[in-house]
Amino acid sequence: MTEISSHTRKFQKELNAGTSSLVLLSVLSRSKEPMYGYQIAKMLEESGPEIPMMKQGTLYPVLRSLEENGLLESTVEPSVSGPPRRYYKITNDGREALKEWAEIWKITKKFVDANLKG
Amino acid sequence: MFKTMEEYLDALKTEMKDADPALVQDAQADAREHLSTALEAAREANPAVSEADALGKIIEEYGTPEETASAYREVERRTSPALKQTTKPRSALGRFFGVYTDPRAWGALLYMLIAFVTGVFYFSWAVTGLSVSISFLIFIFGFPIALLFLLSVRGLALLEGRLVEALLGIRMPRRPLFSHQGMKWFDRLKALLTDKATWLMLVYMIVQFVLGTVYFVIIVTVLSISLSFIALPFIQEVLHQGAVYNNGVRYYFPSWSYPLLVLGGLLLWTTFMNIIRGVGQLHGRLAKWLLVSE
Repeated sequence: MTEISSHTRKFQKELNAGTSSLVLLSVLSRSKEPMYGYQIAKMLEESGPEIPMMKQGTLYPVLRSLEENGLLESTVEPSVSGPPRRYYKITNDGREALKEWAEIWKITKKFVDANLKG
Repeated sequence: MFKTMEEYLDALKTEMKDADPALVQDAQADAREHLSTALEAAREANPAVSEADALGKIIEEYGTPEETASAYREVERRTSPALKQTTKPRSALGRFFGVYTDPRAWGALLYMLIAFVTGVFYFSWAVTGLSVSISFLIFIFGFPIALLFLLSVRGLALLEGRLVEALLGIRMPRRPLFSHQGMKWFDRLKALLTDKATWLMLVYMIVQFVLGTVYFVIIVTVLSISLSFIALPFIQEVLHQGAVYNNGVRYYFPSWSYPLLVLGGLLLWTTFMNIIRGVGQLHGRLAKWLLVSE
């Protein structure tokens, strides 16, 4: 990741704005246990490509806004060392939204691919 | 670049200096949680690693203070705080009567009624907690009691903040601020005692008692005056009761004055709702000033 033009960076950021919500909902819907931010970030790092798509710090405000919209819920639990951790869990509304969003993603992907091929 | 986590957090705070203090507090809590967890993991993997070295890699993945700050700003821009309204230009008369469709006015009314109850509770909690803590300080077990009390004040302040945001629409912290982790409990007590925020929160708990009582009395008074004006025709015509009773004589208002009386009652309540909305916003600012630490 050496020289990336500012256009590219802006494009990536705008794309991430939507996809990060979708990815976070999906990760939390597959997890049986509530997860905290660092855990989610690690999991994405392992599943993702070599180049990280987004900075881990950008996940937290997205988690927070998903919670505000009732798609996630969270509880704070003390950790053995360090500050307490916020554990996130998907809600029923979140699962509903995920179903719809995944559908939109499929259609979008098909649409973009079809146009990229020309 | 950053030798300690605190340096990163300070840089993040500087980067967000124009942002809402409540948002800054949330961002600090998230960053603190992530960085200390990541540091711990790095130390587990390689006990010899220095904090600065480990932090370099962690921050590369987490994002620079600049990137993190912009992510919070971006999301905050898309998520408006509760009850935030898009303002449309309206005529003075429309604005005056539009108060009934403004959720902030109803929220403020509800908040002020609740403030009576919470105010009494906060006041009793603060006074009891303070006197019990101080008097037990002559025993050794007085210290943990004082610590628990001060922590409960923090918790109540966060709770009050959620109430203020939900009903008054003023952005308040959504995360507790934990800045004393990893300390011995005695150091933690000292940190809480020397923190200005703790004392401001206590001041708020006491002020809320006075304000809550005043709000409640005024609301009940104005509501009963407005309602009696509005209900006057009904009382005189249907129940055949004179509106004013003095020395065994009932006086009746003439029937031509009914429209004026009803209109007066409605105007009084509408004016009062406008005032309530304004006072609600002022109270929100007071709450922010006393409960959200810089």
